Amino acid sequence: MKTYWDIVGDGGSNVAAQVEAQTARLRGRMAHVRRKVAVVSGKGGVGKSTVTANLAVALAMDGLRIGVLDADVNGPSMAKLLGVRGRPLQAGPDGILPPEGPMGIKVVSMDLLLASDKTPVAWHGPAQQESFMWRGMMEANTLREFLADTAWGELDLLLADLPPGTDRISHLTGLLPDLTGCLVVTVPSEISHLIVKKAVSAVRDARWASALGLVENMGRFTCKHCGAPEAMFPGGDTRAMATAMGIPFLGSIDFDPRLAAASDRGVPFVMSHPDTPAGEALTRIARTTLGWVEGV
Amino acid sequence: MKFLCVLCDTQMKLEETTGPVEGSLSVSFACPSCAYRIALLTNPWETQLVRALDVKIGGRSSPAEPWEFVRTMLAARREGALEGAGDVATPEEGAGPRCPFSAVANRAAEAASLTWDPSAEERLERVPDFIRPMARQGIERFAVERGYTRITEEVIDEVRGTLGF
Repeated sequence: MKTYWDIVGDGGSNVAAQVEAQTARLRGRMAHVRRKVAVVSGKGGVGKSTVTANLAVALAMDGLRIGVLDADVNGPSMAKLLGVRGRPLQAGPDGILPPEGPMGIKVVSMDLLLASDKTPVAWHGPAQQESFMWRGMMEANTLREFLADTAWGELDLLLADLPPGTDRISHLTGLLPDLTGCLVVTVPSEISHLIVKKAVSAVRDARWASALGLVENMGRFTCKHCGAPEAMFPGGDTRAMATAMGIPFLGSIDFDPRLAAASDRGVPFVMSHPDTPAGEALTRIARTTLGWVEGV
Repeated sequence: MKFLCVLCDTQMKLEETTGPVEGSLSVSFACPSCAYRIALLTNPWETQLVRALDVKIGGRSSPAEPWEFVRTMLAARREGALEGAGDVATPEEGAGPRCPFSAVANRAAEAASLTWDPSAEERLERVPDFIRPMARQGIERFAVERGYTRITEEVIDEVRGTLGF
């Protein structure tokens, strides 16, 4: 009796060809993107998305053509951070035209589709109680469409902002197998470092990115009374951790409450406060990152 | 998944895809040698898994529209979020060639509008894991058919009395 492997094809649905067509579409689109960089963090609340948005703007200010994929399907924030929230998407002959943020940055985020501030991402299905069984596949296919069907045009760099944690990294490893670099954002706390190590291992184990780099956010703050810089968190030495893990330390960003305020307004901090320590650090890290990925 | 006619040792060919009806898809296969026919019948969770894969059973008749999957599958979308896009049949809009799963989604939408009393949920928890999803579906279907919006212990008793659960 024949086995599965003796039979060519699947009897009529041609699922393999359907999947190949999806892959070809994605590959064709991504061929126009020179570099792809993912931004991840082990821990939530470290300012990963704020860093992503400001790096994107800093590089766009240097004349690069930048796209930003908000890969956090369930907690999207890039549309807000880059000031395109509520803007319509346009269907064009080459795909979906994304709204453009500051300096012509193209932004795609689930937030652009959601009905209201309070609307969570919910999928049609037989019962939401069992959605954990198929939700991951829904999200992965959504990201595939965001990448493959968006008219990104020619890009020098596509930044993908991933959700916190390591579990969703696998969604993008198959979609962007030729990822140039992966930025890992952390704050200098022991708890964040503990979790960031897992994120670094997850990316390494998946053999995903050609290179990994570490960025420290909220490293220090400036005392408003005496002007002296002080550590935000006790104990964590991010540079030492990067060295111990054998990955480059790309820089540290000081905490500045104006950065949070600018993010809430959808105004990139590197544009509104370029001469502050945090603004300068973001620009410096953006240029370091660019040099780093160009050298990969 | 492939189907083999054991008598002829020949791969069976897809003949017809129908449904879904109440979340179940029927896919017929026939042996090209002896014409023996079988049907694959999916439960709603299997149907949903196929949908989540974004592949069409029976093959695609036309290329996918941009963002077709997310536009079809997202339960609630902002009006005017996407301008100038061609129509993609959403599950609520009924069956169409690009959306053969509308019945599933319609049922899902109906089920989603039901609320479960905590005591009813507790009763359901006593059902063994492996048949709990099926029991939940049966109770919700029963409730939808009778126009109930809340599932209480009384509804569960009614289901037991009627269906012999």
